[in-house]
Amino acid sequence: MRIFIYSLQTAFKNLWMEKWINFLTVLSVSIGLLILSTFAAITLNMDAVIKRWAMSFGLVVYVEDNLSKEKENKLKDLLQRDPDILEVKYISKNQALKELRNIMGDESAILEGFENNPLPSSFELKLKSELLHPDLVKGKASQIKDLSGIEEVQYGEKWLSSLNKITEIMKISTILLGSIILVAIVFVTYSTIKIFFYRRKDEIETLKLLGATRSFIRFPFLLEGLLIGLAGGIISSLSLFGIYTIIAMKIPLFMPSIKAIMVSLPLSIYLSVPPAGAVMSFIGSFIAVGKIRY
Amino acid sequence: MIEFSGVSKYYDQDIILKDVSVSIEKAEMVFLTGPSGAGKTTLLKLIYCAERPDEGHIVVAGWDIRKLKQRTIPFLRRNLGIVFQDFRLLRNKTVFENVALALRIHDMHPTEIKEDVFEVLKDVKLSHKANTYPAHLSGGEQQRIVIARAMVTKPTVLLADEPTGNLDAETSATIMNLFRDINTRGTTVLIATHNKSLFQGTGCRILYLRENQIEKELIG
Ligand SMILES: Nc1ncnc2c1ncn2[C@@H]1O[C@H](COP(=O)(O)OP(=O)(O)OP(=O)(O)O)[C@@H](O)[C@H]1O
Ligand SMILES: [Mg+2]
Repeated sequence: MRIFIYSLQTAFKNLWMEKWINFLTVLSVSIGLLILSTFAAITLNMDAVIKRWAMSFGLVVYVEDNLSKEKENKLKDLLQRDPDILEVKYISKNQALKELRNIMGDESAILEGFENNPLPSSFELKLKSELLHPDLVKGKASQIKDLSGIEEVQYGEKWLSSLNKITEIMKISTILLGSIILVAIVFVTYSTIKIFFYRRKDEIETLKLLGATRSFIRFPFLLEGLLIGLAGGIISSLSLFGIYTIIAMKIPLFMPSIKAIMVSLPLSIYLSVPPAGAVMSFIGSFIAVGKIRY
Repeated sequence: MIEFSGVSKYYDQDIILKDVSVSIEKAEMVFLTGPSGAGKTTLLKLIYCAERPDEGHIVVAGWDIRKLKQRTIPFLRRNLGIVFQDFRLLRNKTVFENVALALRIHDMHPTEIKEDVFEVLKDVKLSHKANTYPAHLSGGEQQRIVIARAMVTKPTVLLADEPTGNLDAETSATIMNLFRDINTRGTTVLIATHNKSLFQGTGCRILYLRENQIEKELIG
């Protein structure tokens, strides 16, 4: 405990003694984290948009013509009991015809040519969002098609796969950008702490000769790194909050449609940036201090 | 307390110590002398593990230096008080902080540290310089700070490398009295020096180092 307090004092003293280098390091760390969290904010917003899109995705299941009412009910029951299916909406032949008439308007006269209603009855299904992947939907569709009494299953295959591609690209670029920035933060702190370590080589040598343990020597450097990352993280969280608030206030004036889409950032983003910075900088300083040999 | 048997030390090809064997008992006070470059500092460095022997065995305060692991070296050194020939004071710390550092390393309580540091500064007659930085001290004053730092931990073994090199005769006598005091309280003292007047008439053993060996042993 005493060693911790002493290390903390030493760390603060050293941070202050080298305030300019430290200021620049904190600044670099906070810029990196700000880019990262801004990107996370964009991703979150995109994600919300995509989720909304995905809500509209549905499968249409056409029932074989002249299937008995009883069998149709059985099918409906079967579909409703499937845990993957959120919602089952039955559209009867007559309903379908009515809708078609509405759509065709004046031209619906053509339909009068038919003796019987040519349209099949159908079910409109909504799937669970976890299932919205091209392969999974395909599997589900063919599984439904194999049920007796089903004529055909239709859905927007192209639409689904492009939706998926967008999600995939977003995921990959978040991970890529995220790791690049995190590595950069590790590196920035690494080089700063390495400079301090070399500058104080003589002092460290003396500490060793006086019987200082490795922890006694290391702790101040590790704490310095950690504090740099923490400070950078706090600055970037505050800036993100500021920027986001301003944007949320100003943008709807120019582009009202954006307002509907924009989600408010969860507190967890603001709260997770400082610890992330601290951890990365800690790793950087840990590598910089390296193994202490007597 | 300190035991050398068949110890040799080379720097690259240069032989510095050759087959040195010597034994220093607990609570003994011993002087190490010899011409410049004879290897006095090297011998002390072997004791505090700043150098490792190329041959032979060294045992210090019960620790076999050869078998010592990296992470146990600090614990050996905490039994030692060392007056370095090149002082090794920290430039960016005051006199008080420099001396206190030794006790901090020993994980002592801050209030005790304060008491002990002021006491030892009084012993070396530098209490009034407590808040001065080493760069603003004379060579002799710096040397006394180093001595204070070595003694403040009440070590089992005190190693002093030319401790009076920068001191006048009177101050040297004061310092020698401090060494004798700490010695009578049970600390083993080994002093490397050129200064014959330090050991003349002390009745202590004097190891005379020359041509890589302890050439002779006298009584002062
Ligand atoms: N790190 C080193 N690398 C190579 N040679 C060294 C090293 N340290 C000391 N020496 C050599 O070892 C020899 C002994 O040096 P040492 O410092 O032990 O002498 P000393 O007896 O303490 O001398 P002095 O009385 O001048 O302090 C010298 O010739 C010196 O040049
Ligand atoms: Mg020497």
